[in-house]
Amino acid sequence: MANLTEIQQTIAKNDCLNDSNTSFNNTKNNNKSDKDFVEREAREQREGGGEQDMAPIGGNPIHRSSSRPQLDVSGAAIQGNFEERDPTILLPNQSDDISHLALDIGGSLIKLVYFSRHEDRPVNDRIKKTIKERLGISNGNRRSYPVLGGRLHFVKFETNKINQCLDFISSKQLHCGGMDAHLWHSGVSNENAVIKATGGGAYKYADLFKERLGVSIEKEDEMNCLVAGANFLLKAIRHEAFTHMEGHKAFVQIDQNDLFPYLLVNVGSGVSIIKVDGDGKFQRVSGTNVGGGTYWGLGKLLTKCNSFDELLELSQRGDNRTIDMLVGDIYGGMDYSKIGLSASTIASSFGKAISDNKDLEDYRSEDISLSLLRMISYNIGQISYLNALRFGLKRIFFGGFFIRGHAYTMDTISFAVQFWSKGTSQAMFLRHEGFLGALGAFMSYEKHGLDDLMVHQLVERFPMGAPYIGGNVHGPPLGDLNEKISWMEKFILKGTEITAPVPMAPPGTTGLGGFEVPSSRGGILRPDASKLNVGVLHLVPTLEVFPLLADPKMYEPNTIDLSDPGELEYWFTVLSGHLPDLVDKAVASEGGTDDAKRRGDAFARAFSAHLARLMEEPAAYGKLGLANLLELREECLREFHFFDAYRSIKQRENEASLAVLPDLLMEIDSMDEETRLLKLVEGVLAANIFDWGSRACVDLYHKGTIIEIYRMSRNKMQRPWRVDNFDAFKERMLGFGDKKPYQHKRALLFVDNSGADIILGMLPLARELLRRGTEVVLVANSLPALNDVTAMELPDIVAEAAKHCDILRRAAEAGGLLVDAMINIQDGSIDSSSSVPLMVVENGCGSPCIDLRQVSSELAAAAKEADLVILEGMGRSLHTNFNAKFRCDALKLAMVKNQRLAEKLIKGSIYDCVCRFEPAS
Amino acid sequence: MDRNGVTEGELEGRGMNKCVEQVSHLALDIGGSLIKMVYFCGENSGSEHQQGILSSKESCGLSNGNTNCSVLRGKLHFRKFETSKINECLEFMSSKQFHRNGEDCHGASVSEKNIIKATGGGAFKFADLFKEKLGMTLDKVDEMNSLVAGANFLLKAASLEAYTYMDGQKEYVQIDQNDLYPYLLVNIGSGVSMIKVDGDGKFERVSGTSVGGGTFWGLGKLLTKCKSFDELLGLSYSGNNRVIDMLVGDIYGGMDYSKIGLSSTAIASSFGKAVSEDKDLEEYKPEDVARSLLRMISNNIGQIAYLNALRFGLKRIFFGGFFIRGHAYTMDTISVGVNFWSNGEAKAMFLRHEGFLGALGAFMSHRKDGFADLKAHHLVEQVPTKPSRNAGGCLNNSSVLKDVNENISIECTMQLSN
Repeated sequence: MANLTEIQQTIAKNDCLNDSNTSFNNTKNNNKSDKDFVEREAREQREGGGEQDMAPIGGNPIHRSSSRPQLDVSGAAIQGNFEERDPTILLPNQSDDISHLALDIGGSLIKLVYFSRHEDRPVNDRIKKTIKERLGISNGNRRSYPVLGGRLHFVKFETNKINQCLDFISSKQLHCGGMDAHLWHSGVSNENAVIKATGGGAYKYADLFKERLGVSIEKEDEMNCLVAGANFLLKAIRHEAFTHMEGHKAFVQIDQNDLFPYLLVNVGSGVSIIKVDGDGKFQRVSGTNVGGGTYWGLGKLLTKCNSFDELLELSQRGDNRTIDMLVGDIYGGMDYSKIGLSASTIASSFGKAISDNKDLEDYRSEDISLSLLRMISYNIGQISYLNALRFGLKRIFFGGFFIRGHAYTMDTISFAVQFWSKGTSQAMFLRHEGFLGALGAFMSYEKHGLDDLMVHQLVERFPMGAPYIGGNVHGPPLGDLNEKISWMEKFILKGTEITAPVPMAPPGTTGLGGFEVPSSRGGILRPDASKLNVGVLHLVPTLEVFPLLADPKMYEPNTIDLSDPGELEYWFTVLSGHLPDLVDKAVASEGGTDDAKRRGDAFARAFSAHLARLMEEPAAYGKLGLANLLELREECLREFHFFDAYRSIKQRENEASLAVLPDLLMEIDSMDEETRLLKLVEGVLAANIFDWGSRACVDLYHKGTIIEIYRMSRNKMQRPWRVDNFDAFKERMLGFGDKKPYQHKRALLFVDNSGADIILGMLPLARELLRRGTEVVLVANSLPALNDVTAMELPDIVAEAAKHCDILRRAAEAGGLLVDAMINIQDGSIDSSSSVPLMVVENGCGSPCIDLRQVSSELAAAAKEADLVILEGMGRSLHTNFNAKFRCDALKLAMVKNQRLAEKLIKGSIYDCVCRFEPAS
Repeated sequence: MDRNGVTEGELEGRGMNKCVEQVSHLALDIGGSLIKMVYFCGENSGSEHQQGILSSKESCGLSNGNTNCSVLRGKLHFRKFETSKINECLEFMSSKQFHRNGEDCHGASVSEKNIIKATGGGAFKFADLFKEKLGMTLDKVDEMNSLVAGANFLLKAASLEAYTYMDGQKEYVQIDQNDLYPYLLVNIGSGVSMIKVDGDGKFERVSGTSVGGGTFWGLGKLLTKCKSFDELLGLSYSGNNRVIDMLVGDIYGGMDYSKIGLSSTAIASSFGKAVSEDKDLEEYKPEDVARSLLRMISNNIGQIAYLNALRFGLKRIFFGGFFIRGHAYTMDTISVGVNFWSNGEAKAMFLRHEGFLGALGAFMSHRKDGFADLKAHHLVEQVPTKPSRNAGGCLNNSSVLKDVNENISIECTMQLSN
């Protein structure tokens, strides 16, 4: 095992590229890791020359990173001279052109988008390389120049605190071009550095940037930027757009190919209404001078509020009926029903102020703010709709600082659009609404490589940390994990504040020239609750859509929809209940040191805060499915540097299972083919009982040994199972009557847990397929999640199992899994060529579930010749993909270890089994 | 209805006192802010109504050939009160003894004569008050119907009713009666109603906005402590909106954003400058505040009106309602708004009797009851001969503050029939 602590330390600093640079230099080396490094170094040089690499695996590989797969810790463990092997100079001829920062300097807010190139990258380890060759994956670039793996960060500052922004940029050295920062350190002149910026302030503050950071500001056209930003977001982020009616958000899936034309309404100080026909093709068709500036400006004069947010917050508690003249005020409480105006419709904004003999001071600021907000929002909604109508545009997207994810504002605008269009048109909003301009400015850099970025190559993460909560900076940038932990402790205080419900005035009246009251449930519209969190966008160019999905457009990974409050609450309870046990495991996995305890504590706080946030606002992080929630937990663990909380448990279970494997194989081999197939499927289902993700199973563990439980479980396997397509599967495999047995060419086995699950369940099944002449690809997690087996662990497990089984051994050799072991098993080489291969690929994720829209390129390549997909375990075959349809035969196997899920999904009960076979569609 | 007698009467525009006894056929439009009143005053107050009777086949029965009719000559008068001071209105009515006059003039039964046509929300709200104070019943007439009827009447009957107003130039527009429809009627009262008019009684309220006259006055009152609408309007006349509005040039360092056709003087954000300046309300001149407010609201109405006209392919947009009241700058802003957004293709038009469309329409509904067949063209409007405020092309400050259309009475004949 490589020295973990050091790896953690190294990783701890990797959040900022330049920090990582420093930490690479500062980290102490010990002999072993030095050796590892040298070996790896040498290996990579050889690989560079295209040689077959046969070097032994060094140490126990540990995955890291807060992102997807290829972020392999063995890569992050590299120490020593960073510059020499700077992994990020993937564009040797263009590195000077790549800037990593773009700004939108508005009147009230500075929006900053910066890109940090990923310090980790796919590690061409030996096994992967072999597999790649076997699968015929070329390493050639698919584009003219590569998209870099990296992260896109979104940060906001108040314009009047521009110094905070400058400090932030300076501390992260963003103006120096991110990873090229070492040039800066080595004294290379920064004089020609240019930062793209848009917004009115790009002129105003140009000198300040020159003076403080020594960089020039290059002004980009505002409209261009807005449109480019919106186009990028709508194309690249799956559920960027959402509707907001009566306090309820619903994310909208936009078909990339059917995006244009649309109307983009940017509500800044004023309002621009832009018709967008394509990339770079747009026209400002209208606008209005009654916008955010009017709200804030008038509001300031009328209420003496000091900030926009304060004014907005006031509106939450306002009742506009005290100032607005309603239809009922004119009609003596009656509706003017003939033209569809109800008594509560606003006839005249501020109209009541005429007849009341009151001074400004006699009105509540709250009421004034709400009247103003309604007046302006309705007006914007109305004018936007009229323009959409004029050009026959169906979609209207609203963005700009005025919106700010403010529920009432969005509701009001939506209501206006809905009302005037009689429901034929809907207002949509963007999660990254504040960042359109900054993103567009970022896009204006040449060769940023993001143009053709595909939606499946982006993964959004929500790390706990300063710049990330809602995109607002709440303090200085965090330098390392320590600071983050301290910050977490403070954040919790803020967190409780946020989760406390804010009283709302009873839903009042709305309406402009004829609006009904949006029947908003008052409690839902809480000021902070409505704000959407903006995460860090991880750009992972190697992710692809799983090619065997029958209809990728219709594919929805999540079986459980967490927008159902009941479901969310249930899972919230489940995950909260799990938390103490998980923290114990995690701390133990790191040796139970004080440092580990502190991190464990911080993790628990952070994850609880996430849960609280999501309970309060399920849409806060975008569209939320159970898979996302479970992955969030794993990400959160990784964020606090628990890279494999179940490591020792997995190891123990693997050993115990491997010990009984030979007996099991012998038992199976004594059966005829038909009995064997049944026993094998039974075995998979029985072995799937081991699941540290299930509370029920965790309790089980305390009552017996792994083997006892397995045996008990297998004895209980009585058909028919709750979902039982076994006969269909058997017919497909063995034939029946006229039907001939079908021999699959290649099977992809999506495996689940370590221990009995993989060793006593899936491996024997894989062995059976191999025996039948079907190539087998074991598909496992790239990063640890719970006790799931990872792609990095599998070769060792297979090698160990192969010691007792020729079939596995020959197949593993043929698949390149046993190249090292060959030395020990002399007689294996004789007939290895005669076996179909057994291979291992990583799936591209670090979650107990899998979203097949985003899988590793290796898996995608392996899938191309596959004609059988076997998904095993709750996470991958029930929580996700239960309803997924494939273009090839698919078998979904799982034991349901959750009563609620059993009831909901299969109308069964806990420990019921699912054997769902769906022939190629 | 029992209206056999033909009555004729004429009232001087300003000489209300002359015709006290002859006042008849009163209609009210009781809005959220103002009460608009239209009443007919027969000519020749002293001599009884028989004098005014003309046997007039030719003047009445063109469409129906009804011979049993009479013509009443007189003038229509226009008057308004603030709704919050409704008692002034009641007192006025009481002093003029409208209710009894009707009875006297036409010999109708008390119960019938005690009915007043009224429209606007207040017709519902204040019905009891009228009953109690004056013993009169308000006969509620639909508001939109009234507006449209009033506008149609004016556009067809009054020769110099509509005019454009651009850059201080007032230009009367001759409307071809046969090519009047369809048009967009924008009535700017406390709120704004936008009505597509396709013919007599054929119309649809297609849009509206709550940002209207009430907003101007209400917000203006809060911002400037003005005591009246007229005072606020007067203030706006000498104000400079650039002090508070954020102009395109303020954002772009004095430059135009020519790429999208915005000049540096275009308003980017109404009241937007108040955001960045660290000034309290008291530090802004009320004149400037009033001006910004007026521009914001006028421009907005102009824009929404144009977008609606565009939507239905309507060339003509008529603006009415008390908000305008012949105020030069208001009209100018609305006109500029329409002109700007339509690229000069559409023109805003205004009506001289803009504030009284509803009341006039309600008045017209008298005819529906009593004189159903009377045609609008029987009514002749006479521009007052006084050295008038509306004669000049450019309205100066002092004239603005006077209520222009209140002083334009319409000389007309009313044909009464069974």
